[in-house]
Order: sequence, then C-alpha cells, then structure tokens
Amino acid sequence: MLRESYPFVEDSFSRFPSQSNIYGLCQAGEQELLAATLKGKVVCFRYQELQQKVRPVAKEVQFTYIPVDAEIVSIDAFNKSPPKRGLVVGITFIKDSGDKATPFLNIYCDYEPGSEFNLESIAQSCLNLELQFTPFQLYHTEVQCADGGSETVFLLSGHDQRIHLYHENASLHQFEEQPVERLFPELQQLPSNVLWLDMLSIAGGRRLSAFGCQNGCLGLALVNQTGPEVLQSWRVQFDSPISTVLLFPLRCQTECNQPGGEKSVEAEGYNLLVTSTIEMAVIYRDVQERGLSWSTCLSESDQWDAVLCALVIDLDFDGQKEVLLGTYGQELLCYKFQPAGSRRDGQFQLQWRRSFKSPLLSIIYLDLTGDGLRELAVLTLKGLHILQSYQHRSSGPRAARPEGVGADRRLRAGISQSSEGRGERRPSSETGLHDSGAIKLTEIWQFASTCTPRWLRLFQVFVLIKGAM
Amino acid sequence: MRSLNYVQRVSLDFTGTLFPHAICLADADNDSLNELVVGDTSGKLLVYKNDDSKPWITRTCVGMLTCVAVGDVCNKGKNFVVAVGAEGWFHLFDLTATAASKAESSSQHEFFSSEDQKPFFTQHIPANTKVILISDIDGDGRCELVVGYTDRVVRAFRWEEPSDGSDAGSGQLVLLKKWLLEGQVDSLSVNPGPEGLPELMVSQPGCGYAILLCSWTQQDSSGSGDDAPATPGSEGPSRDIVLHLTTGRIHNKNVSTHLIGSISKGSKEESSKCGLFALCTLDGTLKLMDSSEQLLWSVQVDHQLFALQKLDVTGDGREEVVACAWDGQTYIIDHNRTVVRFQFDENVNAFCAGQYTCKEGKNSPCLVYVSFNHKIYIYWKVELERMESTNLLRVLEEKPDFKSHLRVLGVDAEDSAAVRALVADILYKDGPT
Repeated sequence: MLRESYPFVEDSFSRFPSQSNIYGLCQAGEQELLAATLKGKVVCFRYQELQQKVRPVAKEVQFTYIPVDAEIVSIDAFNKSPPKRGLVVGITFIKDSGDKATPFLNIYCDYEPGSEFNLESIAQSCLNLELQFTPFQLYHTEVQCADGGSETVFLLSGHDQRIHLYHENASLHQFEEQPVERLFPELQQLPSNVLWLDMLSIAGGRRLSAFGCQNGCLGLALVNQTGPEVLQSWRVQFDSPISTVLLFPLRCQTECNQPGGEKSVEAEGYNLLVTSTIEMAVIYRDVQERGLSWSTCLSESDQWDAVLCALVIDLDFDGQKEVLLGTYGQELLCYKFQPAGSRRDGQFQLQWRRSFKSPLLSIIYLDLTGDGLRELAVLTLKGLHILQSYQHRSSGPRAARPEGVGADRRLRAGISQSSEGRGERRPSSETGLHDSGAIKLTEIWQFASTCTPRWLRLFQVFVLIKGAM
Repeated sequence: MRSLNYVQRVSLDFTGTLFPHAICLADADNDSLNELVVGDTSGKLLVYKNDDSKPWITRTCVGMLTCVAVGDVCNKGKNFVVAVGAEGWFHLFDLTATAASKAESSSQHEFFSSEDQKPFFTQHIPANTKVILISDIDGDGRCELVVGYTDRVVRAFRWEEPSDGSDAGSGQLVLLKKWLLEGQVDSLSVNPGPEGLPELMVSQPGCGYAILLCSWTQQDSSGSGDDAPATPGSEGPSRDIVLHLTTGRIHNKNVSTHLIGSISKGSKEESSKCGLFALCTLDGTLKLMDSSEQLLWSVQVDHQLFALQKLDVTGDGREEVVACAWDGQTYIIDHNRTVVRFQFDENVNAFCAGQYTCKEGKNSPCLVYVSFNHKIYIYWKVELERMESTNLLRVLEEKPDFKSHLRVLGVDAEDSAAVRALVADILYKDGPT
C-alpha cells in the first residue's frame, strides 16, 4: 500500500467556530454545501468567481428562528421533486433554556417565485415544528405518490425508536408530519433508535431501505414502491452501535466463457456498507438477491477508532467505485474492489489512507467549482476541508499509464454498449484490465484506433483532463 | 483568504529551549542534502537528519547558544556549522568528516575520534549576540560573517588565515566593521541592490530597515588592513547607515520587525538586480518591496508575526514569503499577494522554513515549528500546485489541444455549461452518451 498515492490535494480548509457532528453536512443546491455547527451557526460553503479568480467562501447563513442557546443536531436539504421547484432546508436543534431542553425541527422553504433557490431568502421563511423526541439523522428520499408523480420527503429518526415523516402540504404551503407506515411500511416497529438510514431506488419500481440502530441492529428491506409493500426484510445484530449504512451499486466484471466467443459481462449488484463503532466495516454483497447472507469485511477498518462516515464513489475514473471511510482516528481510508478470478467474489483492499488534523465526521462528493469535476468535501471536528482531484505526476513515460487504464475501460464499455465494436476486441483479462502494470499506452492507442471517432475524441479529452488534474 | 491544512509531518525530540534564531535548515555535512541545525540554551548543538526523531549529531558548546548558521564562512568551498553563544563564544564545526566513513585515516579522523567532539575552532567575540548571517556582503565573492547584537550593534567579520597557513585551524575571525543602530536589530539579510551589488540590510523597529554600507570596499585596502577594528566614533555611524522607514499604517514605531531579502523572482538574471525583500512586524504588517524602495504589496493580518522566511512552495522558482505568528498561524504569500494560510495548532517557540531532506532522500520544501512541549515538527509535504484555487476548465483552457477536440466533438468552448456537462459525462457517466 502506497501511503502517499492518494489522488487528492487539499484546496481549502474553513475553520468553524464550534464543532460539528456526523449529521452536520449536506449539499444544498448544485454547488453549495451547508455545514451546521453545534453553537447554532450554519455555514454555507461555495466557490465564488471574483475578478477572474476562483475563491473559496465560507459564509454564515442567518437561518431565522434558531435561538442563540440552540444546539444544532442535524441538517439536510433537497430540491423539490419536479414539477415543483425550490430548495428545502431542514435543521433540527435542541433549545436548552436551562430547566428543560426542547427539540425542534425547522423547515426552510421559499414559495416566492424567483427566490425558491435563493438561500438568503429561504433562510428567512421558516416553519417551526416542536418535537416530542430527541432528533438524530435528518434524511430525505423521493417517494412515488398515488397519482403517479413523485415527492421528496424528510425522514427524521428520533430517540423514541421511531422514524418520523414530514411531507409538504402543497395547498397550505407548509410541511406536516404524517404516519410513516403509509409510505414506509418497512420503518415501523423498529428495534431501537435509528442512527443512520439509507434508501436506494432500484429497477422494477422497487426500493432498498437500510437502517442501523443504536443497539447494533441492522435492518434491510426490499420494498415494492407501488403499494407500498415489503417484499422481503432482513435483520442482523452487531455488537456495537451502527454509525452508517450505505447502499450502493457495484459493477463487477464477470467472464462468461461461452463457446460462441469470449465476452465480458458486467453485472450490477446492490451492496450495503455497514460501519459500526467498534467492529470492522462490512459490505453485504448482492443484497437484493441474497439479503444479508454474503458479507465481506474491510480489513483494518477498525484500526483508526470508530468509522463515522462513508462514501462510495469512482474517484480514479476507471468506472469501478471505491469505498471511502472516514474515522474518528483522523484517517480517510480508501478501499478498492479487487476481483478474484473470473467470478464476482473478491476482496475490498485498502488502497491508501490520508491523515487529517481532527476526526472525520462526514464526507460528500460534489462539483463545487462548476467545472464538471467533483470535489471531495470532508467535514472534520474543526472545520470543512475541500480536496480536489490530483494525479501524481511521476516522471517518465509510465506517467501516462493510469489514465490509460480508466479510459480503456470506459472506451470498452462505450463500445460494447453502443454495439459498434468489432469482433477482434480482446477480452479484458488479456489487456490486464485490473492488472494496471500490464497496460501500456500504445496498446490503448491501438485499441482506441478501432473505436469510433467520437470515442477516440472523448478519450483524448479524457487524457487531457487527467493531465490537467 | 484561502486556508488549508498540512498533515504530513514528523516530530523530532527536542528537550531544551532555544532562541528564535538558533535554528536553521542547511547542508551541514556537504552531502548536498539539507539538515536541521538547532542550538539550545544549555549550549547543545543538535543536527537532525531525515525523519529520525533523535539528533544525528550532538555537540557541546560553551554558553547559551543564541544563533546557529551554516555556510562557507572560511571560504574553503565547503560548509561549516557556526554556533554563537550569548557570552560571545564563536564555535566552528566541520561535520563533513563525520559524514564520511570512519575508516578514513587522515589527521582529521584522529581529531574527531574522541567521543567528546570538540569544535574545529573557537574564538571569543563580543558578547550579547542575537542573530548571525553568513553571506557575501561586499560583493567580493567571499563570505563574511555578520553578527547582530542585543545592544543595537552589528559587526562584520572575515575569516582570515596566514598566507602560509597549512593548518586549517590557524585562521581566525577579524573584525571588519561595527555599526551602531538606533533600534533593535531583529534580522540581518543580504539583498541585491539596484545595481546588482549585494546590500546588507538589517531590520529596524516600526517596519523599517537600514542598509549598512561596507565602507572598507571604498577605502584603500592598506588602510583597513591594520586598524581593522574601526571605531564607529571616528567614522561617524550615520554615514554608513542608510535608514529607511516604510510608510503605511504603523501603530507602534517601536514594534519588533523582521526582514528577509534576496527573494527569488524565478530567474537568476531577474533576481540578481533590484532584489526583493519582505518585512513583517509583530503587530501584523507584511510588506514586499524591492531594493529601489518600490512597494509591491502590503498585507495586514491580526496575528503577531515573529518569524519571516522565504520558501518556494509552488516549485516555479519564485520564492513565496512565509511568516509565522506566535500562535501558529502561518501565512504563505506570493509575489502577486495571493495568500494561503495554515494554522499550526500549538504556540510556536521558533520557526523556520526551507529545504530539508526528510523523506525520499531529496530536499523538499519544509516548514519547521519548534513547540513548547519538547517537540520539533517538520511539515515535509508543503508543496502546492498553485497558490490560488482553480477549477478544471481553467486548466484545460490553457491546453491548445482542448479547443480543437471540443470543436470536433461539436461542443462550443465558450459555452461553459456544455463543457462542464461533457467533462462530467466523461468522468462519471457509466455508459456511453
């Protein structure tokens, strides 16, 4: 493992006046982040173009109706599902006025045409809901309505062992709590307080829901969205509180040795990443088929204290997603799927790690600079770090190798799917797709020359982009 | 103001306390790789190498070390380590032999064989030293030793050896000149003047500086040969000291001021004339000027700056100004006044920046912080791709191929939304378009 090979360089760090927590970061709109800090302050981070210069700007947003003695628990934001327009920001906080602590959920949303996405004016129009429970994670997800449209709703977990649903009453221009069972039958009768919730819409109008509880219980359900109806559900008990659950698709290259000709088939399976506070992180593979029966551990992930946040993204642009874990032990870990043989099983191996100056709380991957390339935003106890992609340039001809690997895969995918490829295409095992050392740039150029001009051109742009990082 | 974090650091053990000028990064053993040289208040001289937390070499000096420096002070074409104590003891160490193999059978080997390693040379010079500089200050191509004192005096020395001197230890320091300044001297530096000749600059309180003239270059060499310790009274110090006070917001004209000169502009020809120098004050003023007294920029910060260094963090040959405050806030500012901040999370006892061989066996730009709890922290990966934030489109626009590719793909290069969508598609879209 090369410790220094992480493909990121820090572009900016914004120190916050007080600490945040694992529910304290969310994306708001296309290119902005909202970070909530304990002492009632919400910081909006974005890149601003000023005098031909790109500047990182972290500015406090004055969200109304957050009292001075409030401590923010969680923050979340979403864009309303079309055809409705507008940004909705939800903030939960606890107002501690001495004798009794009162929790609240504030939902900010502007209905004035033209200012639905203006954060300053959104922050001024507040719906204040007093809660009967201590709030935890504030989550949003899109649900199918009875009329065929879709709607995005807030889901708020609480210390009352329940999850609460808040949806917009369009006619009244406000949000109200609704029984969660009607839309989310899988979220009733929970075994404990839910610390983290994740949902993923999958093919066939179905949905995967996963939740991790304070008592270590992990729940997973496959739900038919029309109905809705729980098709299957699974539970597993861990030994420690579950810090995050994350559902993600993973493409695996599988070789089908059919007699008619070798063909590489990509199979997509849904996976569930579970991190708990003292155990190793676990990935359950193929959950829609096999439930929680097929698991693989992320080795060494328990070496740097509790894992508090996780993200699955393709950060080296080879079409294969990597797993990022942020730990309380101030390390960001990157795991990559290493297929074993020709089958879909394989291991997730630690590729690199990067130290931070304080514990990592939350990570988001989004395009902050508006150039199509996404940045990695890392919320730590002390502030917000923005990391930009950076390709380590090694001297010599081998420097071109990494971009070859990614582009090759992408080109291959493009050709096989656009069915413009030719018969002489080699199977991926021969070009050593996963054995990056075996690939040479000339080989890729040869390969690229058999592609359509458009793909060749895209490949060249890709090489340029990688060179520019 | 852009701010970021450096995380890759090594910590070195250092149990003593030190004066802010008793630290430097330089090639102490002539192996072309830089070491960290530290002198503490008990007279120990420590040399650290690579990422080893224990000193590579420890030497004992007389008195309380106030300043250390490395340079070719004897004009022999190799670096010596100089350590000067407050009491005025000047120590010269030759660490080249230490680095060489022990099998060496020269007389030097015998000299260094004893476990209690003595300095190569010691001499008593006037006491109350504060800061030293080894550099060519008069343009003769040979190095001089300049010492700043706590009593507002600056003295210049030259190493002289008898012409028949075969023994290396037979030379000694000879006083060239003494200047008496009005205010405290916190830093000494050399900067190329408008004509390209080196000028000796010293900082003066209140964001001022003074240029000290090397009068011996104007005088007949026969005159200065005998009465080398020229008394300032007879010469009149005013004639040899050109005091400059910079304009601007100065709250306190007695505020402690630091200065660094010869800031590289990128190319040798440019840097050799009309050199750049920077000033900083304890009340947070930072200035970059050139030797024709033109102000390039001025920055006001709300931290107490106590150390000023130069370091090329972007690798473009142009050196950035690096200023450190007592509370660990560090500013890196380039010639265009682009600021990058870094907060070191402890109070800082002493700070220096420069090239150091920490990892990978080669020099790299480093920031060195001496904390108050027995540790020296070296941040060894402080290089930045660029000082300013940027985005991919700006970088791509500089590439000539990019526009032609875009044209073929039918994307308007001026339409940033379309280019953005193309980039996002190429990088993140799973399938083809």
